Amino acid sequence: MTDQPVDVKPTGENVAGEAPAAEPEAVTDDTTVHDDGVELERTIGLTGGLAIGIGTMIGAGIFVFPGLAASNAGLAATLSFAIGGLIALLVALPTSELATAMPRSGGGYYFISRGMGTAYGAIVGFGLWLGLMFASAFYLVGLGHYASAVFGEVGVALPFSPVIGIGLVFGAALTALSIGGTENTAKIQNVVVGVLLVVLTGFLSYGVLDAVGVFGGGTVPEQFFSRGYFPVLTTAALVFTSYLGFAQVATVAGEIKDPGRNLPLAMVGSVLIVTVFYVVTIFVATSAFGADRLGEFGETAMVEVARDFLGLPGAVAILGAGLLATFSSANASILSASRAVYALSRDALLPRKASEINLRYGTPHVALLSAGGPILVLVATGRVELLAEVASFLHLIMYGLMCIALIVLRRRDPEWYSPSYRVPGYPVLPAVGALASFGLIAFMQPASIGIGIVVMLVSYLWYRYYAADVTLKGDI
Amino acid sequence: MTDRPSILVPIRVLEGESVPEGVPGLLANAHVVLLGYHVIPEQTAPGQAQMQFEDRATDRLDEYETIFEEAGATVERRLVFTHDGQKTIDRMTTEHDCLAALVPNATGPIEDVLVAVRGAVGIDRLARVVAGLFGGTEASVTLYHVAEDDETDEDVGTLLDGLVERLKDLGMDTSTIETRVDRDRGALDAIVEAAEGFDTVVMGESDPSLTTFVFGLPADQVADRFLGPVLVVQREPSKQTDE
Repeated sequence: MTDQPVDVKPTGENVAGEAPAAEPEAVTDDTTVHDDGVELERTIGLTGGLAIGIGTMIGAGIFVFPGLAASNAGLAATLSFAIGGLIALLVALPTSELATAMPRSGGGYYFISRGMGTAYGAIVGFGLWLGLMFASAFYLVGLGHYASAVFGEVGVALPFSPVIGIGLVFGAALTALSIGGTENTAKIQNVVVGVLLVVLTGFLSYGVLDAVGVFGGGTVPEQFFSRGYFPVLTTAALVFTSYLGFAQVATVAGEIKDPGRNLPLAMVGSVLIVTVFYVVTIFVATSAFGADRLGEFGETAMVEVARDFLGLPGAVAILGAGLLATFSSANASILSASRAVYALSRDALLPRKASEINLRYGTPHVALLSAGGPILVLVATGRVELLAEVASFLHLIMYGLMCIALIVLRRRDPEWYSPSYRVPGYPVLPAVGALASFGLIAFMQPASIGIGIVVMLVSYLWYRYYAADVTLKGDI
Repeated sequence: MTDRPSILVPIRVLEGESVPEGVPGLLANAHVVLLGYHVIPEQTAPGQAQMQFEDRATDRLDEYETIFEEAGATVERRLVFTHDGQKTIDRMTTEHDCLAALVPNATGPIEDVLVAVRGAVGIDRLARVVAGLFGGTEASVTLYHVAEDDETDEDVGTLLDGLVERLKDLGMDTSTIETRVDRDRGALDAIVEAAEGFDTVVMGESDPSLTTFVFGLPADQVADRFLGPVLVVQREPSKQTDE
């Protein structure tokens, strides 16, 4: 067992006179150790970590984006997903190093506040909280599309579009469940992810065989860059929301067993796995229908692809899988958002009250409500692409800053910074990761960029007003 | 008392569980590893629970520590916030090299102790617990064995005599030791029935099997039905298996 000392001492207090909570003394494979014999048990293994990463990601890339991406970029949307995966990998590697050096709750926020100071930390912390809300709202709207498609499938014609309504109902139900539910949600999440991977593997294997002509081929020959080169990048920016999950593994880094081994494996592993699934999915989907028709089907395009291959049973299977996947993604994001609120409140950037625990259920009801409430407002807008891009924007800022934080920490090399995993190719790899993260933002819609910048500004002003005296930066 | 056996006393400190009556007396000669733990749902970060509940839990543990120390035990304590109570208990057992874990239930003064002997495996640890806790007391100890069909009286005699001999080596007065053997019975029911009239039960932890997976560990079942404190002697810590 490696005893890793923690030597970061946050100081100062906020407007309400609250000081950041004391840092632990050491981190072991099984616990986080505070003074006076107080320990926090680590209980999430590698499987659990992978399930968090994959479960958060797979909902969007496969079940919401194929239609949208194909109509934007044509067959080259495959390349867009590959670019997204590459950027995610470039960030996941540095994140792994930071996480093994600082396996604490809060993920990217924690690394950046300790490595670069409170101001950057505040921008990233609030950005993470809001980014997760935007992501969660995006998944819920996707869920609404799938649930509506179920109505369509059973032949119930509704006089209005139920997408937003269903999204709102599920959003409220999820928040209520996470406050009042005491059942073992992590085990359920593991099973859901397992089922999804099995269903998708079966479906995609059939699709690939069909696309290369084994079954007499319905392949639509098409030009790869049918929409030109530029849309490949804008589409990559749009679909990057599909890659936000690996950082969620880092938000529960404080609860991962044997973090030096499991954190890098879970983060890098989940990125690699979903990238393969995404690229194959888009390839199969576009070769079944061609980009134009696929685009017409919109959010639930995959259902039509499955119907084309396997008839009604295929459509039903993918409908069910889509419901499960979007639901689990939304759920994971709400829980991560609540962890982000806790991390901010622990460091006195939000009132201590925000991470208060409900005595009846033992759950952080204030934090969960402060995630769940705004999500409903966002769902009500129903703007899938905008929600996705703002979520990506806020995460990409964090990703870029994490890469920079790694470079800063490596250069100063403080005594407490001793990661058990070291990123290969330093300093080129983290530098490219930072550039790629910030670069991708340039390809987003102006509206998304505007909202993202406003969120960052407000976060910074809040920090100046509320917690200007709080110092979180480690001694570097 | 040179060799105090380490006994793990796990207490769900924030759910109204406290040190039951009679338990401090039972463990007067032990090195008590007092584990206050709090199981939280997965939606909650352990650190979050710590921020809110640490002070209250620490106050209670202070109180319990004093109770054990006044009874004569030496005490070491831990406070753990966890999603998985069993993992925490197992880890503590290994880290502090505890010979046994206590299932805390109330009892009177300890006069009669039932020791359920399963077989030769782990018998040394069983002996160290019994001798360490009850060697210097007035309590009378009954070694109890439920024989299997293929076990001869001779086998049983060798097993129990060996244990008596071992206890004697550890400094126990053998005049307070009795032995008792039953046959043709389910071990579990037999132990629960025999336990009536005793103040506490010492028994071994059995290997996890399919039946334990369905019905829970025999030690837990005995504890549920016996209603008194049960000392569960832990297996020799094996090499830790990684998930």
